[in-house]
Amino acid sequence: MKELVTFQVGSYANFIGSHFWNFQDELLGLFEDPQADMVFKNQNLDMDVLYRTGETQQGIPTYTPRLISVDFQGSLGSMSSHGTLYNQSSSLSSSITTWNGNVSTQASEPYKKNLFLQRLYDEGKEKVANANGDSQSEIQDTDVVNSLEESVEFWTDYSKVHYHPQSLFELNGSWVNPQEFNNYGIGKNTLSEGLQGDEINERFRFFIEECDHVQGIQFIIDDSGGFSGVGASILENIADDYTNVPVVLYSVRSPSSFINPKTRKQNIYSNLHDAVSFSALSSLCNLIIPVGLPSLNESRFSQFLNLQDNKLYHSSGVYASVIHSVSLPFRMKRIGPNGESLYECGAMDLYEGIQMLAGQGRQNYVAVLDACIPAPSLVGRVFKQSLLENLLPLTPETAYDVEDLQAIESVIVQGVLGSEEHEATLSEVKEAMETAYEKATTRPRFSHLSVSRCPLPILLPFPSIFGTRVGRRGEILSNPVSESESMSRRGSIDVHSIPMAARLRSSTAILPFLENRLGNIRKFGLERGSIGAEVLRNWGFGREEVEEIGENLSKLVVTLDPHQGYSSDSD
Amino acid sequence: MSLRVLNPNAEVLNKSAALHMNINAAKGLQDVLKSNLGPKGTIKMLVGGAGDIKLTKDGNTLLKEMQIQNPTAIMIARTAVAQDDISGDGTTSTVIFIGELMKQAERCIDEGMHPRVVVDGFEIAKKATLEFLEKFKTPVVMGDGPDREMLKMVARTTLRTKLYESLADQLTDIVVNAVLCIRKPEEPIDLFMVEIMHMRHKFDVDTRLVEGLVLDHGSRHPDMKRRAENCHILTCNVSLEYEKSEINAGFFYSNAEQREAMVVAERRSVDERVKKIIDLKNKVCGPDDNFVVINQKGIDPPSLDLLARAGIVALRRAKRRNMERLVLACGGEAVNSVDDLAPDVLGWAGLVYEHVLGEEKYTFVENVKHPNSCTILIKGPNDHTIAQIKDAVRDGLRSVKNTIEDEAVVRGAGAFEVAARQHLINEVKKTVKGRAQLGVQAFADALLIVPKTLAENSGLDTQDVIISLTGEHDNGNVVGLNQHTGDPIDPQMEGIFDNYAVKRQIINSAPVIASQLLLVDEVIRAGRNMRKPT
Ligand SMILES: Nc1ncnc2c1ncn2[C@@H]1O[C@H](COP(=O)(O)OP(=O)(O)OP(=O)(O)O)[C@@H](O)[C@H]1O
Ligand SMILES: [Mg+2]
Repeated sequence: MKELVTFQVGSYANFIGSHFWNFQDELLGLFEDPQADMVFKNQNLDMDVLYRTGETQQGIPTYTPRLISVDFQGSLGSMSSHGTLYNQSSSLSSSITTWNGNVSTQASEPYKKNLFLQRLYDEGKEKVANANGDSQSEIQDTDVVNSLEESVEFWTDYSKVHYHPQSLFELNGSWVNPQEFNNYGIGKNTLSEGLQGDEINERFRFFIEECDHVQGIQFIIDDSGGFSGVGASILENIADDYTNVPVVLYSVRSPSSFINPKTRKQNIYSNLHDAVSFSALSSLCNLIIPVGLPSLNESRFSQFLNLQDNKLYHSSGVYASVIHSVSLPFRMKRIGPNGESLYECGAMDLYEGIQMLAGQGRQNYVAVLDACIPAPSLVGRVFKQSLLENLLPLTPETAYDVEDLQAIESVIVQGVLGSEEHEATLSEVKEAMETAYEKATTRPRFSHLSVSRCPLPILLPFPSIFGTRVGRRGEILSNPVSESESMSRRGSIDVHSIPMAARLRSSTAILPFLENRLGNIRKFGLERGSIGAEVLRNWGFGREEVEEIGENLSKLVVTLDPHQGYSSDSD
Repeated sequence: MSLRVLNPNAEVLNKSAALHMNINAAKGLQDVLKSNLGPKGTIKMLVGGAGDIKLTKDGNTLLKEMQIQNPTAIMIARTAVAQDDISGDGTTSTVIFIGELMKQAERCIDEGMHPRVVVDGFEIAKKATLEFLEKFKTPVVMGDGPDREMLKMVARTTLRTKLYESLADQLTDIVVNAVLCIRKPEEPIDLFMVEIMHMRHKFDVDTRLVEGLVLDHGSRHPDMKRRAENCHILTCNVSLEYEKSEINAGFFYSNAEQREAMVVAERRSVDERVKKIIDLKNKVCGPDDNFVVINQKGIDPPSLDLLARAGIVALRRAKRRNMERLVLACGGEAVNSVDDLAPDVLGWAGLVYEHVLGEEKYTFVENVKHPNSCTILIKGPNDHTIAQIKDAVRDGLRSVKNTIEDEAVVRGAGAFEVAARQHLINEVKKTVKGRAQLGVQAFADALLIVPKTLAENSGLDTQDVIISLTGEHDNGNVVGLNQHTGDPIDPQMEGIFDNYAVKRQIINSAPVIASQLLLVDEVIRAGRNMRKPT
């Protein structure tokens, strides 16, 4: 089992995806860089899992993400939807060969490239023209960082990745302004009309036809609005045509999507959307992972992170790094039948991962995502708590301190530091985790550990979101960096890598999340004379379908809590 | 590009303000689309902020590219897009006709008429125009052998409004032949059985019709033939790859051996399926024959190896629709299980070969015996040119299909609009009582927007043209306008024909939406109901 195909659907999903691919691109670069640290050079990750090898018509080889990104037309900023590698010569493109009559040209104002993109562009040119000697006005790192902090508007503004021309799909023709594209129903209709759904299927087929042994599909869907309906349409088509391909789905929310609704009606509207969207998406994948807290800055993550919740650029960086960690086991190379690597352990493919979390025991396929950023050193004296206790949920509406004897967990630890500020060895990490589990008050029924010695690389366009107690290699400093007190946010200039831990958890901690959705669909959609029925009808759900949604959600609850004995409301 | 006709933030407006907002929005949209119309229209090149280019001369495509925010404009655009969904053409005419109905109505209302009365007049005029269309249309007899010349004239008329003449003429033959290829007597025409494939290539004139099928992928094994003659074709939907058993089976490997055993068992069953295919090959193939497997499911490298060693060419992950197309093109049957394998499920193609362009591969399945499916292979130097040709080809195919199904066409170049207008003025108006007469008059005058715009786009004096056209009609001559000189011409002689279904749909839908817009109480907000108008 090998290839993964990635889908990013909706604005926030693409913000996260942009960071995610930046990490991969950086790792690829570090791997080939003779001056890079050994931990980056020795990584045993199979990048072909996420990337495809191709060739332009001119015969130039390419290596690009196996990705389909779906977003509104106009959301790509200064990036061309065709990407940059397969460019057609521009002299050919501007002349019109199909019409002899009048031509009218309507050109939008070209987007101005920010400093970061300018520098990327200049470097690209330099590589081609190489030794003209005088490299023009060098753009400084600090200027780039400042420019990004101030000006990021599109996810492409901080992307350094070359995308394949089939990858970036722009949704058009809905004539809806983004504020009104705020519910499942509207998104569902957008794709079912016209040829756009077909076109996305064809692009997917392009990527999957190349795969020798596809291991699965990872979806990141911004489910805060219409894109959940768009995503559901895509998933339905996939379910029809590729029945046995495992699908893992991150349903993601930005902090700004949690802004409190102004009126009671809006509140009902958004509660219904949440219920409908979650029910639909969860029934179309093998494992669903809701991700996105109302605020990161007011969560316990703010102990070491210092970010602005209103910047998608900031918070998406956090979620991207965790999704990166979670994806590591799916691409660790397995060396021989028993050959042990010194750098990674705990490889599994997506199928095995899903099977482990959702296929055994009570078969709950809604997982909680936890993370620890940065992960503390194993020997550090600063924090007595173990790594395990530092894992905090990034899934909203979860219960703390649950005692769940049936819990199943998959933990991924990457690049944690051990003695003398070295990356800890695999056995050190394993040992530490074992002790931690032994000491813990409640233990899961089953747990799986994957370790990589390679930390998360913090690259230049990564946002400045670290607090003053985070050191250059992500170590936790006993004293905040004092001289830069004015700079309370540390970014890529000061921090070069980060040890991480992430965990997927099948646990009753998700019950509040599920119960809220179930409660809302019952209260607003199913109770006699409820206000929501009309809204739901507009979204294309009749009474029966709403009942189905209720049953679906209730099944998820009962799976985790059989004693709850939910009886149907009507009797 | 964006179109802001009026302040979209205006919340609730009073009746008259709302009415004028609607009228202005309709006029605004008309202004944007007007220059598109006809063979002398303007092509639009839209350049996005990142340099992406879109090329269009089609009302439908242009509307979809526009970021329309005004709710009224959105309603009109939806009607026009529905026009295209239903009949395949006439979006530009729909939009400018709605705009003109609103303009004419405005004049009446400004003179103190109640919108209701205008709408009543529209209703009468619409009914009369539809009746007139029945008399005016030119019947086309569709016996066993369809009137190929007539089909070509209709297709040519459409294509020449989108592409320069010689390319349009070349495509005319292609689309007519394509539709005739897939047409089966007594069955509705399914245009999906014409595959439209594209290839980047310097010259658009290399676009051609392939009797057979072009697939956008090739075999995935180095030892498989790139060119094979006398091919038995197996069309199937059978998994030929190692797959994990279903998730959620409530089972987790307890040890490595168990896992290994599972893998071995699953592999064996895949190999058995492959062997059944090889057996069939050995059974049917003579020394000069070849065997090609085209599978909708996956084929993994070990299976490819087995097939390659048996001399079989195999393609995986074919489009779902190609299962149907292949069978129509090559014969045989698509099978879903290896248990159904038998010589008579196989189709046949004289030639199967691969064409490689960078990382893009194409497989041509040609020289088939009685194709009922075919492929139009579009070539063009870049994506936006290809996209524009593709749009035109779709229009052309629809026009041929419509003609066959309508068994009628309508004389074009403005002839119908002028004739209908004169009929309304000379015959219908006097039968109407009261002020609704003025509504009929308004409708009739609005029809003239089509010849007027055709004249305007040709750089002619619209008044002169209309006077000479209406004069000829009053003398009993059905004429349209010569787009070069503005003189009256006989569309029949010139072979300028439009689709009956398209004209009927325009006459049907434009007044409906115009009436709705005229009878507003308050502003209609968009985005409420995304369903297609039916
Ligand atoms: N050779 C010609 N001379 C004059 N008029 C013509 C000629 N060919 C076509 N027309 C007219 O042009 C009009 C069609 O133009 P066009 O195809 O640009 O617009 P449409 O069909 O209304 O909308 P669209 O094709 O954009 O959906 C018809 O009224 C037709 O009669
Ligand atoms: Mg047309």
